[in-house]
Amino acid sequence: MAVKKRYKDLTLLQRIYIPEIVKGLSLTMKNMFKPKFTMRYPEEKFIPPASYRGRPVLVQETNGEERCVACGLCARVCPALAIEVQAGETEREKERYPEKFEINMLRCIFCGLCEEVCPEEAIVMSKDYELAFSSRGDAIYGKDKLLTPVIQLQDRIEFLRSYK
Amino acid sequence: MPKFVLDGKEIEFKQGQTIIQAAKDNGITIPHFCWHESLSVSGNCRVCLVEVEKMPKLVIACATIASDGMVVHSASEKALSARNAVMEFLLINHPLDCPICDEAGECKLQDYAYSHSVGESRFVEEKTHKDKRVPLGPYIMFDGDRCISCSRCIRFCDEIAKEPELTFVKRGDRVTIVTFPGEELDNPYSMNVVDICPVGALTNRDFRFKARVWDMSANNTICQGCARGCNIELWVRNNEVLRITPRQNDRVNSFWMCDHGRLETFKFINAKDRVDGPYVRREGSLQKTSWDEALADAAKELKSSRFNRNEIAFIGSPYATLEDNYVFAKFAAAVFGSKNIDFMRHSDPSFGDDILRREDITPNSLGAEAVGIRPGQTGLNFDGIINGIKEGKIKALYILEDDIVSADTALEEVLAKLDLLIVHATNFNKTAVLADIVLPAATYAEKNGTIVNFQGRVQRIKPAVSTVELDRAMDSMSMSRLDKFGSIYDRWNQGHKYDARSSWKILAALSSVLGNKMKFNLAEDVFNEISRSVQAFSGLDYDSIGEHGVQSKLQPLEKIEKA
Amino acid sequence: MTIWEILIFSIVKILIVVTVMLLTVSYLVYFERRISAWAQNRLGPNRVGWEGVLQPFADVLKLLLKEDIVPEQSNKAIHSLAPIIALFVAFTTYAVIPFGPDVMIFGFRVPLVVADINMGILYVLALTSLGVYAITFAGWSSGSKYSLLGGIRSSAQMISYEISMGFSVAGVLLVAESLRPEAIVQSQAGWMWNAIIQPVGFITFVVSAFAETNRLPFDLPEAEPELVGGYHTEYSSMKFAGFFLAEYANMIIASAMIVTLYLGGWHFPYLESFGLSPTLYVIISVLTFMAKVAALLFFFIWVRWSLPRFRYDQLMNLGWKVMFPLSLLNLVWVAALIMIFKL
Repeated sequence: MAVKKRYKDLTLLQRIYIPEIVKGLSLTMKNMFKPKFTMRYPEEKFIPPASYRGRPVLVQETNGEERCVACGLCARVCPALAIEVQAGETEREKERYPEKFEINMLRCIFCGLCEEVCPEEAIVMSKDYELAFSSRGDAIYGKDKLLTPVIQLQDRIEFLRSYK
Repeated sequence: MPKFVLDGKEIEFKQGQTIIQAAKDNGITIPHFCWHESLSVSGNCRVCLVEVEKMPKLVIACATIASDGMVVHSASEKALSARNAVMEFLLINHPLDCPICDEAGECKLQDYAYSHSVGESRFVEEKTHKDKRVPLGPYIMFDGDRCISCSRCIRFCDEIAKEPELTFVKRGDRVTIVTFPGEELDNPYSMNVVDICPVGALTNRDFRFKARVWDMSANNTICQGCARGCNIELWVRNNEVLRITPRQNDRVNSFWMCDHGRLETFKFINAKDRVDGPYVRREGSLQKTSWDEALADAAKELKSSRFNRNEIAFIGSPYATLEDNYVFAKFAAAVFGSKNIDFMRHSDPSFGDDILRREDITPNSLGAEAVGIRPGQTGLNFDGIINGIKEGKIKALYILEDDIVSADTALEEVLAKLDLLIVHATNFNKTAVLADIVLPAATYAEKNGTIVNFQGRVQRIKPAVSTVELDRAMDSMSMSRLDKFGSIYDRWNQGHKYDARSSWKILAALSSVLGNKMKFNLAEDVFNEISRSVQAFSGLDYDSIGEHGVQSKLQPLEKIEKA
Repeated sequence: MTIWEILIFSIVKILIVVTVMLLTVSYLVYFERRISAWAQNRLGPNRVGWEGVLQPFADVLKLLLKEDIVPEQSNKAIHSLAPIIALFVAFTTYAVIPFGPDVMIFGFRVPLVVADINMGILYVLALTSLGVYAITFAGWSSGSKYSLLGGIRSSAQMISYEISMGFSVAGVLLVAESLRPEAIVQSQAGWMWNAIIQPVGFITFVVSAFAETNRLPFDLPEAEPELVGGYHTEYSSMKFAGFFLAEYANMIIASAMIVTLYLGGWHFPYLESFGLSPTLYVIISVLTFMAKVAALLFFFIWVRWSLPRFRYDQLMNLGWKVMFPLSLLNLVWVAALIMIFKL
């Protein structure tokens, strides 16, 4: 193995160190007067791009029905076991529907695998990042909280299609 | 023995065997849909095409008789491309609705599409549409789109159930399956077609959409429906039994089981009327209490001065395990010196047939008698006990896991005459509600044990559902992924656990309270004592019984009757 | 002045100094957080009160309400003693630092220093050396590897840098010909600041002061990434707050010492020649002292958020091979100046 020289040869001025300290100090001083990046949340809200993976939601068609057929693939692929699905039978053309669809938001790790595996494009990652609950029970989101009109999820769905 | 070469490996076969059967006997599986070991050969799925040297074309392994010196290639380039082509054809009109289909996860078509198909279809036209959701019978739903016309279900009805009910109609891509006019798929074995259907065309109406197969755990055990003792698997999710499927055992049930066993022998496990914790009658009504109190009460009552030991009778159970009955007999003899012990025979001539179902609708009558549930020389038999109660000679009765009142409603008045009635029961049935003390017994899905079928074959039952004192992780039950990783905060892990115990455990505890210690820690300890003390079971243990049971020296009942 | 009068004036001065110190310390924490945020293009705490000015009180309240956890393996008495020593040393050192010229109150001539003792500098050096005990005790008594390593590093570092610190001070003493802080301040009237006369000594003293206060780039005893907090890993609640306050109090002491020894103390150059009224003169002098200390405190914080931490061997090399010879050199330089110019 070739011997690697670890240090640069420093000039005398650099070895005295003080000019370098002054350089460093002036850099931080300059930064103190630069514009700040901090967003004043919650007065200002962050609007995520389409690639953002927020809380997973179920797509609700315009007729009010869910796309989900309760195949359980999301529950199977979920590495954190956050999803629980109970299928039921309906008279609709797709004879299977989720009688119960629950995501435990304490378990969810926002990996997006459920969205990736879904054969029906029925579960997608929304832009919702404001998740707060005051009990373990509240953290389990049922169909009432998960169903989101398809119109609100349009840009995420387009984003997904562009990468398929 | 003649031999032929399959994929470079020389295998032996019996004269007249097909290639696929010979391969299977040697542990090699040639892909197949329509072929089934115990059905006739139909040869219409074409997926078992293999290349045989010196034959001009590929042949189907299921219909080609093996001959000495044959050289067969099941994975040659030609065979593989043929298989791919067949798979593409089969998938042309298949709807690929696996997300909706219940068969997903145990579907042969799905498996082969992964392992033997190129994964892409060149078919761009519209798929054919057939009738979906057709109820072929009370228990079976048919989906025409998914059917690949293998004819297994038709052949099953013709050959095994012996009630031809199904047939193909139409031709070409319009072919579909219907019942004969005026017929329904309602033979006593109809639900086996769900198991043998290689796709999701035939589904179990009782189990439909209840759970994904990969979410359940499966435990090997024995059906309790009749004296046949079909080998089965119990499928459990969230501590609830959801379905039963048969398990192959050529000496008992081959691949099959009846619809009664499949549907009626598990629902009581999670029924609302389960006995959950011990109950003692106080001020006229049964009230829940603790185990310690219930056992102390039972001991006090049994030893009370209201009756002497000849006035106590014991009724064992052909529904309970060998272990339970053995400890029951030992309890009666050692603690009370009682000879009044017998069990009630349950027989239903209309139930039996010459396929699998038996007239004796209890799973363990042979075993119960063998381990000592029979009257002593001067003791009373079952009818004697009942008469004794009527005449006031028997004042206390101890019943083990048998609902004798439902079997004979006239007994309700008879039992009312008793001073003391103690019952081990799984559910609040007609007998249990009459009792003074009800001790909750574990069901067959919640305990270890052995039962003896009508052939004298000893078979193991194993727990599949956990109770308060039985833990899934500790007690060698099979565990699904959800069981393994669930926490107490997960809703899928909050299934109810009943406070019930194996009868032998309850009896051993009660015996200790009465001053007669029985040293049994496990069901296996009880069985080991049985094998030492009962000649018919000598030399047997849980290991030798294994998954498929073992023949004991017991004579089948019929043979005794004939002799 | 009678003994009673001296006592009353002393107590009043002590109360004023301690109050000002505590307030300054708490706001120093606030400014440290704000300045660090600005240096990183952030905003920093701005929620409690207007622009976060009440943040220090919220912090203190939070620390007070926290559970006081004492590790089972610790030596409990010493574990509790350590933060007390740290605070004690930090506050008592301030007694000898003059923060203004003498002032006439009710006809008494009162020096604006808590205790005007004639060997004040020695007192400071002695007390700051005691400060190392606080950290060493904390590190040893916690019964934790991290704490112990922090404590050991701290002892080694303090001992090494106290030498160059002492030699740098010796240069100042040569010029002032006194150990009295007041006399040292007087010797720097006009532009005769020691920082100008002996720049090398000034630099070595400032660097040593950084090292003595355990501030970055010399905060090896704490070293969050490798020692998870070092000597105060096992401290929580008010005991932790004790160390926290002591660190910032030490920063104020160090700044005040630098001002007193090298930057002319409370002197505003040539202020006495403007002919101001005595009261105004005192007020301007005190404000001058405060402004100088404030500037130095800002410098402390500014350096912390600009420079990375030294490696341990680099720290020792710098202490023994650079700072020590330089401070000796400074001594020779001052001696030569005195010989030549008869200062």
